[in-house]
Amino acid sequence: MILLENVHFAYDGLYTALRGISLQIDDGERIAIVGSNGAGKTTLVKHLNGLLRPDQGRVILDGVDTKHYSVAELARQIGLVMQNPDHQLFLDSVEREVLFSLENLGYSKEEAKDRCERTLSSLGLEELSERSPFTLSGGERKRVALATVLATEPRVLSLDEPTIGQDARQKENLAKMLCELNDKGKAVIVVTHDIEFVIENFPRTIAMANGRIVADGTTNSVLSNDDVLERCSLTRPQLTETARHLHAVFPEVPERLTLMDDLEEVVMKVLGGR
Amino acid sequence: MSFLEVFQYTRQDSIVHRLDPRAKLFMSIVLAVISLLFLSIIPLLIVLCFLIPIIGAAKSLRRWSRSMKGLSVLLIFIIVFNTLLSTHTHPFSHSLALTLRLVALMTSFSIFFLTVHPDELSQALIQMRVRFEFAFAMSMAMRYVPTLGQEAYAIMDAQKARGVELDKGNLLKRIRNIVPIIIPLIIVSIRRALSIAESMESRGFGAGEKRTYMNVLKFKKSDWAVVTISLITLILIVYLRLFIPLPTWLLWELAL
Repeated sequence: MILLENVHFAYDGLYTALRGISLQIDDGERIAIVGSNGAGKTTLVKHLNGLLRPDQGRVILDGVDTKHYSVAELARQIGLVMQNPDHQLFLDSVEREVLFSLENLGYSKEEAKDRCERTLSSLGLEELSERSPFTLSGGERKRVALATVLATEPRVLSLDEPTIGQDARQKENLAKMLCELNDKGKAVIVVTHDIEFVIENFPRTIAMANGRIVADGTTNSVLSNDDVLERCSLTRPQLTETARHLHAVFPEVPERLTLMDDLEEVVMKVLGGR
Repeated sequence: MSFLEVFQYTRQDSIVHRLDPRAKLFMSIVLAVISLLFLSIIPLLIVLCFLIPIIGAAKSLRRWSRSMKGLSVLLIFIIVFNTLLSTHTHPFSHSLALTLRLVALMTSFSIFFLTVHPDELSQALIQMRVRFEFAFAMSMAMRYVPTLGQEAYAIMDAQKARGVELDKGNLLKRIRNIVPIIIPLIIVSIRRALSIAESMESRGFGAGEKRTYMNVLKFKKSDWAVVTISLITLILIVYLRLFIPLPTWLLWELAL
């Protein structure tokens, strides 16, 4: 369990990025962090594994303040995949790139090999395992960077903009992987602008604006709130838009809906079925 | 690396900032040449007495003193080793003069680099008949130094997040730890260079022989004044140095 207590942070002590973030992340949660550019989302996830340390407030992992741990120690438990894969990749094959992370954390040869193979195949990278990461396409490199962290199976996995440059099928694969990981009791945190991806895969959403949390709750309640959407520069999800149009004609359809199943149910009711 | 600050452009409004870069380049070179003409303590102190007010006029005294503080380790190093190894009759005095000369040289050039924006520099080069492509490449290079620095930090973060311990282990391990930083840095730079080149060409870079410029540099009266004063000073001092023996008080040395 990670606890953030009133975390403040300013870059170089000048450019304020976080203004009092308090937040609890339990084991086995799936959380999406949304918000406009410059809202402090990336700054927030960098606090989880100690890359940034709060100017004020505390980050607590299982009851211990993370200031007592180095980033490398925290990396064992809290994985972070950054936005730009090119900042991570430096070896001459995809496989060695994944093994490097595992070696850093001290896994035995067999264990490392096994985890590497499993991760590569679940991300659809097994065919590329001998290729040099630098010859891969942008989307593929992104997945390799993801694999390097995913293979270590951290207790908490945070991903910064993982869906950029991924086609629909890769996004589905990614979602499936994240859910599988989540089923093993790991927490998954995603920073993203991709609303549909959030709605389909993340039960809890944290909305940020201007270094503060403006809403934290079920994805359904957060993303159907016009005020929150406005403050986070998000457009209304298509399904909510549809629900609104339907509401204008059939008042019994609620305005605030984000899930397909819910919409289907009320539409069936309106149409007199079931 | 704080001593490099003094070679980094700072956006400010001052008399020195407003001068034409060509006039400033000339002035800096003259000041540097003068510092090289002398190797005794008193004349170099006099040169510094002219340099420091110019830095003050550029509103950069604090930055300058911070840089000099950063440089002090190197300066002390120079003094100590020169004193120990010099064959000069007064080794300490001689190495003190050498150090003063280094400070004077750095300060002379810092007047130029502190106050000339990279864009101005490339425009000055172009108007000094350097080919546009070269001038542009140079200002690009200067423009991307801080970006490269930021990139290096981002890469360190990304590797730390994978469990790389950058500041642990023996010397060999630390040297090996540079690899995960330097390779991504090179790759990212090459990729960016390629994409900048593509986007520049898409925007018509090198489309025709003749291109126009938004800001054309023009010599003002103050620029002519700076150039004239610098030139006269240079001629005067070169003449003094070559044809008139220096009075003994100028050649005063510490008896060490």
